[in-house]
Amino acid sequence: MRRRLRLTAALIAALLTATACSSGGGSKDPENGADTAYHPGTLRVLASSELADMRGVLDEAERKTGVKVRPTWTGTLDAAELIASGKADGKYDAVWLSSNDYLRLHPGAAERLTNETPVMSSPVALGVKAATVARLGWRPDEVTWSQVHQAVLAGKLTYGMTDPVRSNSGFSALISVASGLSGAQSALTDADVRRAAPKLKEFFTGQKLTSGSSGWLATAYTRRGSVDALVNYESVLLSMNRDSHTGLTVIRPKDGVVTADYPLTLLTSAPQEARESGQALTSYLRGPQAQRALTEQTFRRPVVPSVKPATGLDTEKRRELPFPGSRSVADGLLDSYENQLRRPSRTVYVLDTSGSMEGERLSRLKAALAGLTGTDDSATGERFRDREEVTLMPFGSSVKRVRTHTVDPRDPAAALDGIRTDAGALTASGDTAIYSSLREAYERLGTGGADAFTSIVLMTDGENTAGSGPGDFDAFYAKLPAAQRATPVFPILFGDSDRAELTRIAELTGGRLFDATRGSLDGAFEEIRGYQ
Amino acid sequence: MKRIVGIVLAVLLIGGVAAAVVAGREDQGSGTATKTVRGVIGSEKSEFFADPDVVKALADKGFAVKTETSGSWAMEEMPLTGYDFAFPASEAPGKELATKHGVQGGVLRPFYSPLVVVAHRPVAEVLARNGLAALDGKPGAEARGTFRMGPFLDAVRADRTWQQLKGASAHAELNGTVFISSTDPETSNSGALYLAAASFVANGGLVSDAGGVDRTAPLLRKLIAPQGAQKTSSDAPFRDFISGAGNPLVLVYESQVASMLLQKQDVGDLVVLYPDTTVTSDHTLVPLTDDGRALGGLLTTDKRLRELAVRHGFRPQGVPAEFTAATAGYTAYLDQTLTSVHQAPVPTTKWLQAMARRSRS
Repeated sequence: MRRRLRLTAALIAALLTATACSSGGGSKDPENGADTAYHPGTLRVLASSELADMRGVLDEAERKTGVKVRPTWTGTLDAAELIASGKADGKYDAVWLSSNDYLRLHPGAAERLTNETPVMSSPVALGVKAATVARLGWRPDEVTWSQVHQAVLAGKLTYGMTDPVRSNSGFSALISVASGLSGAQSALTDADVRRAAPKLKEFFTGQKLTSGSSGWLATAYTRRGSVDALVNYESVLLSMNRDSHTGLTVIRPKDGVVTADYPLTLLTSAPQEARESGQALTSYLRGPQAQRALTEQTFRRPVVPSVKPATGLDTEKRRELPFPGSRSVADGLLDSYENQLRRPSRTVYVLDTSGSMEGERLSRLKAALAGLTGTDDSATGERFRDREEVTLMPFGSSVKRVRTHTVDPRDPAAALDGIRTDAGALTASGDTAIYSSLREAYERLGTGGADAFTSIVLMTDGENTAGSGPGDFDAFYAKLPAAQRATPVFPILFGDSDRAELTRIAELTGGRLFDATRGSLDGAFEEIRGYQ
Repeated sequence: MKRIVGIVLAVLLIGGVAAAVVAGREDQGSGTATKTVRGVIGSEKSEFFADPDVVKALADKGFAVKTETSGSWAMEEMPLTGYDFAFPASEAPGKELATKHGVQGGVLRPFYSPLVVVAHRPVAEVLARNGLAALDGKPGAEARGTFRMGPFLDAVRADRTWQQLKGASAHAELNGTVFISSTDPETSNSGALYLAAASFVANGGLVSDAGGVDRTAPLLRKLIAPQGAQKTSSDAPFRDFISGAGNPLVLVYESQVASMLLQKQDVGDLVVLYPDTTVTSDHTLVPLTDDGRALGGLLTTDKRLRELAVRHGFRPQGVPAEFTAATAGYTAYLDQTLTSVHQAPVPTTKWLQAMARRSRS
């Protein structure tokens, strides 16, 4: 069993930076020159990213209580590391995650939390296209996790789900399905997880989309069009139906769900005035007016009996599947998912090693790659996965060399050492042929390995100066078979690279831009793992 | 123990908030010389002390009370220098605090509240049909009943699942091992008192030695382990219950339900089940100074303060008529007399904590 290590400062920086760019630009980066100091009346809240939909309720709360919320969006599991390590102290006053269950399993977390108050709830559910429900002959209120497993096995159902190592909705789904398929009658044990492993592996063959955040998952689902279902919070699925007319049938499997209860929790390190603000905000949010607003606006379930759930929320009850009671079960489940149960990854790293990378930039690239090869005690999700096929494709005026390593579960060190050696041997020279190199990456991936999550990471520190141009690449991409077009490019903004150019590549291929100019390069590489 | 110390530190910090609220209102008092008394209290009483009417009633008597909250079972770890009183939610830690700090003249117990199990009516009906509960009231509209600890513990020993109970299949949520959701017994009073009640029944008497801990450990483990991750305050599981999520059976204080009823909040199809053997949460004020003792006396004797305690669902000690009168409209939910409820004694902190550790190992 590997230990989850504390996040490095670099990763935190990257996390916050990514937050800054994914929250719509304009927001200040809390790590780089921006202000993390406490200002009276403003509560600094580390919050699950899906809570962005609470803006309306929080604006009203500010009018009523004078307390302004300054959110920093984060993944639940990353936040747990941040808090347990003490690195949130002095920077945040409160934490508002989908659940504190995983956080509480961390030594060092409990004594940093106080006034934990659940504000609303939403179960993790399955949103299935109406046509698929009809084709499978399902009665939505009768469906069990076993039926979902059978549908996947029969090749009749594919779905998207977030990475359980980084996102609470994915982790909740993993617990639900492991409980359902193991037949566990109470909180999961290591034995339950082992027993269910063969069925779980079959279940995850149906996962065609993965994501580090539930927001990008919804975007990718809509774009792809070919995936039948989406695992996400009931609130997110119903909001998608309202806002994007996705027409998903929301299924809460009959054998049980894991529900997020959104406890607004104060940090003991917060200044006294901030804690008072936090209590005032909590009292307001638990009042009938806010409870009515949040269920109507966000489709979450109220926690006061006088407010009825919004129309569309089925009130038939479901068994609540217990969250594992120990860290070893929780982390063991994540580790199994990562290295055995999920479909493996095939990843091509298209790496700019042009002349401008000479010196410090190249050193940072080497260090970032070496970081992903991990150490013996790397935490789950912090190194290349068992069974992963990793291709390094350094380029200058053209692709310089192509080296592929596959991580063999019986001897992961061989491939990891190989990658480390190759990364260490990178040298900087030549111009920057972004599009020609990307094209080679697609050609390389095109030759097999359909049963894997394929993706391309593009790291460049400048603009395209050699080889073909964007027009040629567009034409090439348009002619690719649909299966190959599904491979996204995740560009990393670094050095003097052109944000507009990289954004265009991300949008064209269904990827997502990561910003390493304000955070660290290894942080960006690490965050992309959730999408691979 | 390290964990408990951490929590104490945590709650000490947050307690400053409540204290500040009280301090801020000090000037609004009646003009008599105001005595400031400082105490550490169980978190279930923080709403009471923060209630503006309570602050005013205390100010009228010349008191400004500054409180900080702590888990009742963690107060023993605190130095308590500079405090006027400690106010845990149980008599056992209260008495041990009194001994430790050499308190003369005994402790005060102004109010109490029994532990109850809440369930939605269809679930309560399944329990009744299978001999685990008996319901009172009009058939189909019962909102109160008795939870039968003996048969329940037998079911737990046999790893009974809901699927094995008659009538459960009609309810999708009744699936998996039958258990009651409680808070973490190592840190939270209600979770610890659950073990006190269950161990009393299982042991055929009070657990007061290592042998008793050994005898009861397998059963207590079956009460706690199936729950997986547990919450640390009784508020969270109750909120989950109200929102329709969470486990079908949840252990709460009667005061949580009563205060909701007395504030005229709709509780839906909630049924209050009184365990036939339960433990009462005796809110026990341990005076550390004369001022602390004066406050304890006031909470016990002042009619207005007792009335406010009732508003928060607590039962004033020795004057059952006040709770009875205030809850007259809610007898469908509340058992005012508790005549058929057996009160189990609570093991000493040492043995209770030993049981809590074993139950989670």
